[in-house]
Amino acid sequence: METLREIFDPNFLLRNSVYIGLLVGLACPLVGVYLVLRRLIFMGVALPQVSSCGIALAFALHTWGLVPHSEESEQTLAFAGSTLFTLGTILVLSILERRGRGIIEGRIGTAYVLAGAWSILLLVKNPYGEHGLLERLRGEIIAVSNADLVWTLAAFTVVVLALFVFQKEFMLVSFDREMAITLKKNVLFWDGLLFVLIGLTISMTVLSVGPLVAFGFLLMPPLIAHLFASNMRQFALGAAAIGLSSSLLGFYIALRWDLPVGPTDVALLGVVYGIAFLGKKLFNTRRSKETETLRLSAKQG
Amino acid sequence: MDNVAVGYERHVVLQNINLSLTRSSFIGLLGANGSGKSTLLKTILGIIPPLGGRMEILPLDGRRPVFGYVPQREVLDPIFLLSSFEVVLMGVCGAVGPGRRIRSSEKDWAHECLREASADDISRKRFSQLSGGQKQRVLIARALATRPDFLLLDEPTAGIDTAAAQAILELLQRLHQQRGLTILMVSHDLPTVRKHVQQVIWLHQGKVLQGSVDELLSRDKLEELFNLELS
Repeated sequence: METLREIFDPNFLLRNSVYIGLLVGLACPLVGVYLVLRRLIFMGVALPQVSSCGIALAFALHTWGLVPHSEESEQTLAFAGSTLFTLGTILVLSILERRGRGIIEGRIGTAYVLAGAWSILLLVKNPYGEHGLLERLRGEIIAVSNADLVWTLAAFTVVVLALFVFQKEFMLVSFDREMAITLKKNVLFWDGLLFVLIGLTISMTVLSVGPLVAFGFLLMPPLIAHLFASNMRQFALGAAAIGLSSSLLGFYIALRWDLPVGPTDVALLGVVYGIAFLGKKLFNTRRSKETETLRLSAKQG
Repeated sequence: MDNVAVGYERHVVLQNINLSLTRSSFIGLLGANGSGKSTLLKTILGIIPPLGGRMEILPLDGRRPVFGYVPQREVLDPIFLLSSFEVVLMGVCGAVGPGRRIRSSEKDWAHECLREASADDISRKRFSQLSGGQKQRVLIARALATRPDFLLLDEPTAGIDTAAAQAILELLQRLHQQRGLTILMVSHDLPTVRKHVQQVIWLHQGKVLQGSVDELLSRDKLEELFNLELS
């Protein structure tokens, strides 16, 4: 209780970390719902890594003397690098998928390992970026500036509002693309807008809390919620609620036992997923046994 | 369709197609597996662009006609937790602008379409958990919700039991007669289809044959076609 009170104290030194964790916990699962529905789970793993690579390249531009170094330009360039890399990868992967050549998992896997390798190579000799980004890669949500928080809040507000307002369009093009075409919907536009929102969320999340936390919150809350939800509203709201509560509980555990916040959040989500999966399995087994008993008694009766 | 070629990317499935769909007719699009039935249907719907030739959709009462589409039910992913009603509601999306909420009158219309397709009792059930026949009714209701002039169905009776298939065909027959709907139905089940349709488009060895049931599905014509195949 004491720790919880400390977390929500306005003078708490790490309050921005708490707030950003809650924002990520709320927004990422809502976006992740579409990654799960469109069976793009691997993309949810690869894109944060690609986004990190974009940030690493932005830092490298300072080192190579191509861009003068300042705190402001570093942040802007990192955002630009992250967003461009994420959206560029989404675009290329979508085009290749549309053409139906090769194996999609192979391409996403290749993007993931290449982005991971290049992130390290670009950072290893970089005096500006190495410290900050390596911390982010490890998911240590500690040094979150007010500017980071405000930008993340603004971006996530846009994303969540757009997902809410255009839910009908996104659902139609995701569920039945062909039907959407016959209804004269601009499928390319709606797909594009959805991918821009996914890209923006991933860029902002990676920029604020790193790729580990990004893919943890993009994928695990929707996967947990899908086990129990009976409609799309429960699915989306359940995922957001799981993300939000895991973020808060994860921060509490990390603070209490002096652990890095990001890995604690993701490990906690893993435990919740495990419990939820076993609970669902148990529930299904009991229900099928009850159904079988009822069937047998009806047969005997 | 004037000298139209259909297919995917550079792969031509059918070419030199000359077809016209007569208003208020019930047409069966027949052919063996892989003959290009679904590709032709998707080209007519505008889902796949034609690879060549000219395709013209004439205005109906001064406006562009509306196509109601019933896809093969297997293409719809069961991961979506949508009720039957929500699936049907997608049919009215064409009439509702982006970002606008669906009005209660449109929701009433979706219910009306479910009733018309004898599927109102399953409106609250999850679509992915329905039987093949029930799914097909819901998808027909969704197509009706678009207020179509043409109803195009891709294998609506495939993979469902005989009784359910018969019920689906009777429903289509009723819609055709009562609403004067023009129906184009893809099928490979010749005996079932011949009882219900008036006209036939038959895809046979890369050729497209069009005619009435009596012309194309007569004993003589069938023998002629199969003799051609043998020789």
